Amino acid sequence: MNNAPMPAPTPFEPSTPALGQSQPPLGLSLSKPSPEPAVQALAPWQQYICEACGYIYNEADGDPDGGLAPGTRYADIPDDWACPLCGVTKADFTPHTPPSIDALRASIAHSAPVATRGAAGVLIVGAGRAGWQMAEALRALDAEMPITIVTACAGDVYDKPMLSIAMARSTALEALVKESGAAAAARLAVRLLAHTHAVRICADTQQLRTTRGVLRYERLVLAHGAQAALPAALPAALCWRINHLAAYQKLRSALGKTEETGPKDVTIVGAGLIGSELANDLALGGHRVTLLDTQPEPLARWSAEGAGAQLLDAWKDLAIQFVGGVQVAQLEQVAGRYRITTSCGQRFAADQVIAAAGLATPPRLAQSANLKWDNGIAVDPANLKTSNERIHAMGDCIAINGQPSRFIEPIARQARAIAADICGTAPVPYEPRAAVVRVKTTSRPLTLH
Amino acid sequence: MNPNDLPRELTQEASASALLAAVREVAQGPLAAVVESIDRTGYYPRAELQQLAALGAMSAHLDGPAGPGDFGLSIRAMAEASRVCGATGFMMWCQAVCGLYMQQSGNPALMGDALMAHVRGGTLGGTALSNPMKSYAQIESLLLKATPVAGGYIVNGSLPWVSNLGPDHSCGAIAAVVNGDEHVGREVMFLLRCDAPGVELRECPSFSAMEGTGTYALRLKDHFIGANDVIADAAKPFIARIRAAFVMLQCGMALGVIQGAIDSIWEVEAQLGHVNQFLEDRPDALQAELDALTARVMALAETPYNPSVAFFIDVLDARAHGAELSLRAAQSALLHQGARGYLMSSAVQRRVRESHFVAIVTPAIKHLRKEMARLSAEVMPA
Repeated sequence: MNNAPMPAPTPFEPSTPALGQSQPPLGLSLSKPSPEPAVQALAPWQQYICEACGYIYNEADGDPDGGLAPGTRYADIPDDWACPLCGVTKADFTPHTPPSIDALRASIAHSAPVATRGAAGVLIVGAGRAGWQMAEALRALDAEMPITIVTACAGDVYDKPMLSIAMARSTALEALVKESGAAAAARLAVRLLAHTHAVRICADTQQLRTTRGVLRYERLVLAHGAQAALPAALPAALCWRINHLAAYQKLRSALGKTEETGPKDVTIVGAGLIGSELANDLALGGHRVTLLDTQPEPLARWSAEGAGAQLLDAWKDLAIQFVGGVQVAQLEQVAGRYRITTSCGQRFAADQVIAAAGLATPPRLAQSANLKWDNGIAVDPANLKTSNERIHAMGDCIAINGQPSRFIEPIARQARAIAADICGTAPVPYEPRAAVVRVKTTSRPLTLH
Repeated sequence: MNPNDLPRELTQEASASALLAAVREVAQGPLAAVVESIDRTGYYPRAELQQLAALGAMSAHLDGPAGPGDFGLSIRAMAEASRVCGATGFMMWCQAVCGLYMQQSGNPALMGDALMAHVRGGTLGGTALSNPMKSYAQIESLLLKATPVAGGYIVNGSLPWVSNLGPDHSCGAIAAVVNGDEHVGREVMFLLRCDAPGVELRECPSFSAMEGTGTYALRLKDHFIGANDVIADAAKPFIARIRAAFVMLQCGMALGVIQGAIDSIWEVEAQLGHVNQFLEDRPDALQAELDALTARVMALAETPYNPSVAFFIDVLDARAHGAELSLRAAQSALLHQGARGYLMSSAVQRRVRESHFVAIVTPAIKHLRKEMARLSAEVMPA
């Protein structure tokens, strides 16, 4: 096949000297006409890689079939020479240094695993509090059951409510993570597929299609949460939504440290729970906040309890400007900053904009399995089962009688009810109850009913 | 009864099944006779492709005077051919998307007679969009560069592995518009005619299968494109409009390869069922999964130009499912047939290699997953 005597390719043997560093045999290319032949001949042979197909041209070997004698320098390759594999010219080649096998092994160690075959067990989508509580509750009842968690995030364990008070408490970003996803997975003997998007449920074959392959399940628990709803006037690329740790970390790094880069102007659209808590925390963290809402006061859902008035009173000495009764009509980038225009013509300038206009459950997975939907994934209140016999759902993505309940407290009880149902132990029925809301506006904490 | 007296829905349905029956006849007759030489010795099935084109098998998805195109029908026609010969199914896709570019270009020079010649199979063509598609998915950078000149562009660069080409063929291609060495942030899409000055086709080394797909490296040296060649300037919005249709049409190849594999399993069932029962991926289970996938693709084919990201993710995932199931079905067919499927002359053996092609041709399984992950991520400020 190949008549040129070639050493066996052993690129993965660390002890083999990299081909690119081998010395040319003395005198081999001395006779070649080039500007500085002596200097060139003594330089180590180089390798070049075809950007189109990955073929590696080694100067030491040349390309005898393509008319390039061994020892032909890249610079001496004629322009009409063709890559022997794919036919592009030398212009599409770039210098190549063979990586060491150790470097390659190290780089793959941090990448996520891919789906593999094995016992199906329970598959959980989402690694927020709901996902991890679900894994804990199942593990408490069954030490052997295979459990897999698929999550679009890193899977790190943290308390989401802390995101609303971290600045006032000067909590370092690293300190927000209580346990890494990998550590939690090891502790609970769970297979964690982080940075993996669940794309579709094939209910007839009991498979979940993901961006890292197809996973089978005996039972599926949807705990993927809700997504920040984005008002039509706000382009996604221009405003933050703070519903998980990764987005929060990026916002914090965009804001910089006030002691280094000074206070920033932050406009928050939406003065519900999240918007009010963030406004409070950012102001205590030294930033200037403008808080906009369509309602005349913040926390308007609890206006009967006078929540808004109490809050505004508590904020009177903070850099928070509340502007009620306005509708955002436009958000645009102007000279590196943002400009918000309301439908009544008011304008606000900001360094960062945060949308906090409520949450909505992404419908993709539920739709793909034809799950009953009622303002969220509809579940049986007692055992959190969806309209599909093998699929449960819990946390922020569900709605009971059309009512989502996006609070922390019910999650552990929901997880226990599902675990009992899946493991066939005595039922631990979940009881929906009205949530008591503790507003973590640290300048005046409120408890609302 | 005169077909013209029938309600329109019925005539369309009748002509759809007539088309599929005619494609099946070509596939199982003249095409089946040359499938070996297409696969192994590089016979390019020009006559067979032209016969299929004349039936309308590669143009059902194009809009016509009678109404909007039927993507589902083009996909099913492609599946009928792929069931017999994956390479031919692939070239039907090449021809079908090339026609799509021409029609969607809105350029009178590429519509009208030129498009009609393409639809009838008088001209044949392909698509050199593997590299641009990967470029838009942030997988690699653009290989062709276009320098603006009076009346058009001068294009330079090389592309590896473009299929359904020949000396008198053409293909859709995309070049980065440059000012000197600087990419100006716009691309131009054009119909590249293989016989034009400055265009060179170069033979590729042997592939493991599908040798007769007319696959060449393209080399452009100071090739001029003028207004008559332009499909879209700028290319990005055009690609955004047709990307779902582009990927969706490829599903026809997967559906056919899978069905062909299932056919091969049934062939030996009577004789070998007593041992084959111990294998996973039995034909009934594969068929159920294929039927569900086909139904999904047919539903997607009703709205090929749906611009939403959610829809495109759905199309990408259906295409990925097709590739994954092709691999499983072809592998299973080999296990079911045993030694007879391991003969080099066996259709089962060939289909294993065709299924590999379905899995690695752009967009490959890995590209599809990467693109779905990219499109699923929440967009936030930079």
